[in-house]
Amino acid sequence: MLRAEGLTKTVGVGRAARLVLNGVSLAVESDEVVAVLGRSGSGKSTLLHLLGGLDAPDRGEITLAGERLTGRGARALARIRLLHVGFVFQQFQLIDELTGAENVLLATRLPGAPAGGAGRARKLIEELGLARVADHLPRELSGGEQQRFAIARALVNGPELVLADEPTGSLDGENGAAVLELLRGLAGRAVVIVTHEPEAAGIADRVLHLIDGRLRLGEAVEEEASQ
Amino acid sequence: MRALAALRAAFGEAVRMLRPRRRRTILGALGIALAAAMLSAAVVVGDGLGLGFDRAARAADLPDIIARFDAQPLGRVGARIAALPDVTGYSLRFEATNTGIAGRGHERGDAVAEVVDPRRRRGYAIVAGRDLRPGRREVLLERGFAQAWGVHLGDTVYVGGLGPQRVVGFVEAPDNVGFPLAKPRFYLSRQEIEQRFDTDHDPDTNLAEIWLRNPRYLDEVLVQARATSFGLHDIRFATRSGLRVLLDQAAGIVIDLLVALSVIALVTAGAMLAASARAEVQRRLGTIGVRRAVGASRGHVTLSHAVEALLVAAPAATIGLAVGALATYGPASRLLTLLNEPPPGTGLGLPLAGAWLLSVAIPVGATAWPAWMAAGGPVVAQLGGGDVSASGAGARRLSLRGRGLRLLGARLVAARRVRLVATVVTLGLSTAFVLLMLALASALSALETDPGALGKRYQLTASLAPDLAPRVRAIPGVQASAPRYQVLAADSFSLGETINVIAYPSDHTEFEAPQLVSGRRLRGSHEAEVGAGLAAALGLAPGSTLALALPSGTELRLRVSGVVSSLDHDGRMAFVPASALLAADPSAPSQIAVRLVPGSSPARVAAALRALGARPSQATTAVGRGAPLVAVLRTILRAVAIVDGLVCLYALIQACALTVQERRRTVAVLRACGAGPAAVRQLLTGAALALVLPAALVGVLLERLLFGPALSRLAASYATLPLGATLAEVLATLGGLAIAAALAVAWVARQAGRESVVAELAG
Repeated sequence: MLRAEGLTKTVGVGRAARLVLNGVSLAVESDEVVAVLGRSGSGKSTLLHLLGGLDAPDRGEITLAGERLTGRGARALARIRLLHVGFVFQQFQLIDELTGAENVLLATRLPGAPAGGAGRARKLIEELGLARVADHLPRELSGGEQQRFAIARALVNGPELVLADEPTGSLDGENGAAVLELLRGLAGRAVVIVTHEPEAAGIADRVLHLIDGRLRLGEAVEEEASQ
Repeated sequence: MRALAALRAAFGEAVRMLRPRRRRTILGALGIALAAAMLSAAVVVGDGLGLGFDRAARAADLPDIIARFDAQPLGRVGARIAALPDVTGYSLRFEATNTGIAGRGHERGDAVAEVVDPRRRRGYAIVAGRDLRPGRREVLLERGFAQAWGVHLGDTVYVGGLGPQRVVGFVEAPDNVGFPLAKPRFYLSRQEIEQRFDTDHDPDTNLAEIWLRNPRYLDEVLVQARATSFGLHDIRFATRSGLRVLLDQAAGIVIDLLVALSVIALVTAGAMLAASARAEVQRRLGTIGVRRAVGASRGHVTLSHAVEALLVAAPAATIGLAVGALATYGPASRLLTLLNEPPPGTGLGLPLAGAWLLSVAIPVGATAWPAWMAAGGPVVAQLGGGDVSASGAGARRLSLRGRGLRLLGARLVAARRVRLVATVVTLGLSTAFVLLMLALASALSALETDPGALGKRYQLTASLAPDLAPRVRAIPGVQASAPRYQVLAADSFSLGETINVIAYPSDHTEFEAPQLVSGRRLRGSHEAEVGAGLAAALGLAPGSTLALALPSGTELRLRVSGVVSSLDHDGRMAFVPASALLAADPSAPSQIAVRLVPGSSPARVAAALRALGARPSQATTAVGRGAPLVAVLRTILRAVAIVDGLVCLYALIQACALTVQERRRTVAVLRACGAGPAAVRQLLTGAALALVLPAALVGVLLERLLFGPALSRLAASYATLPLGATLAEVLATLGGLAIAAALAVAWVARQAGRESVVAELAG
């Protein structure tokens, strides 16, 4: 589903330049949930942005659903995101003037979006238990509800890959757990969650740690830690 | 010292803040430059035209009264003038019309030679070279005339009857407009002519220039002059104040237009820059909080923002001011030359400096104020950072029912209601002004080419005796013909104003039918219709008595039956029955007015008239020899329309750019969800439509209901000018607005597409 090979990325310029990803390789299959853990500033979000085509690596290659991301233009990357990728952000990023339902619908109105978006949006809103608050503005919703609408928006065009950046970072424990459970239950999709919260590891099929710009398996890190 | 150190620190910070926002800086600078250009254009043209007559009159020592009459011995006229009260000086000339002059490959047989006494007060200004010296073969040329012929100082021109004359100076005399609006004028020394022709008898004069001690007593002196003018035939008075009114009327339109447009440009730039500055300050709220937290004062934060604005505004305003001044100085100077007035020159320095200060102060104030307000808030709140999107309680509910990104774009613009209204009003005003320019251009063209615009229904005139009218009517292609009598009279009580008196033996509306404003058409032989310009000048209304002092010296009294709207002679017109005019002045000059059958050939009829011994000529339009003036006015109108269009474009770009800037997270979220350039364009199209559609409506309504009628009254209170834009003009303007919107959308979408989604999401 998703293949990333030898990703390198430097952020900052001059003396402030810092290598945050140093030859990262990653493969995620459909139906697999991968959690990437790391400390703040370790490059987790940068990795997620590269995987979703929001940013370009200095070196390395990414393939998503059979399409190469690296070296593609802005228009092509936008089309790939529209059809294959759903983003979930820590701050929800709902549009303040639109109701929860309209935030979900907005993604279906983008040029080139798959047909039948309205039906899918309605179904998702019901499935996520949001029908009762569908006409509420974001400021009238709880954090958990906002994040569920954000997840519905990410899923509405039927992407094969969901990328979640600290999805529980702005939620309390109960709502955070509910959101993680929701992400766990996304059948048929590849899910990559980047977070610094170890709770996310509990729902993941595979846990990776981003340390010094390299990805390492969770078990190996734990083993080193215990030694 | 402390203040200097604070200023230096603020300067350093301002430079650092400017560096990362180059595109927004350029956009802001463009707006300032545009407004400054508009302002300097208004200053150059306004100062040139508004003060031109006073400047010229001062330089020329223009007399308070200029009297023209049939030639009389100089001594006789001098004695009469010397007897007038309150006269401080006078000068007598001989004005010879239809004089031949040739030089630099040109030749004219209709020039006006002014034979002057260089030892007396002149009434003209030497703008190059020197004045005439008695007894030499020298000539002065009017500046516009010399420029048109390419004559230089020291050249030789050939004057009919005098032979070669050396050009020693160029002059400006604001008692008349210059060549080619009027016939070419040149000045000769009386002493030289007397020497050449060895005349020792009392020479003739036909023009007197009179200076008064106190111009307030002008009317009294004129009454006295009229009373003592027996024996002087065809006497016509022109006054300094009368000349000024005429010129101010024409210049007033252009000045008012430019001032209105520059105010719009300034308000647009100010509003947009204020909005942009507010958004920028919101964006920097976190930084401001940090600076406040480490001890920067509110004043220092404000100062650094003000200096930042100054760094952008000062060069932009300088460039804009220079461009505007350079672009308009040439046409304005040409216009002034046509009006026999000097260009403003260094006198412009002070007004331009004021314009520069205003152009800089507005953006600096617009930037400093939001910074001052933001820096005054709690530091903790500032440290929380600034999200420029509408959030919290301020957010308004939008609906996407069945629609998409365009509606979202429109709603995002509508979320800033005050700015939406300000932008719509700005665009609406600009649209209305463009429509007005087009309507003005159409009106000018009509006045230039269509005698019907003056209410004239005849196409030709023929210099034939009145009793030949039936023979003219018999020419194939002629529908009607009648003698047309025309004399220049004066009002018996206000002698400063000349009145164009026109008379037909029968119903004059068959040949001239200016629109009736009030009252009714004349019926009896003791009635007259007067132009609205004359009615306004003399306070006439239907039922009043019009007392005309005719050139023959007799008086004609008629009852005013109606007031008509006529552009001819500035509305100072009177239509009277021929029987009444001929009874008072049997020698009133006439021509035959010829009205053609629709579709018949004027050339063929003119040939038939020539066969009768006539010299046929086309009916005059309102513009006539004023074609060059119209051309200059068109140039100015065109320049103003272009700047106006740029103001529209700038307002649209700024409005779209601000929407993107303020809602950058929304745009970034959309892009993260898969919105490509087309989707961003759709969003911005909605935003632009939300501005353009109401603006178009506002613009058309403003032009139709307010500007058109207002300018029509301003341009000529004595006539109805058709200044309503036609459907084609409305469609062309709306098309232009749509193109401006498309350009703005394309440009801003391109810029938005270059922004990093990741950076924008991070805010």
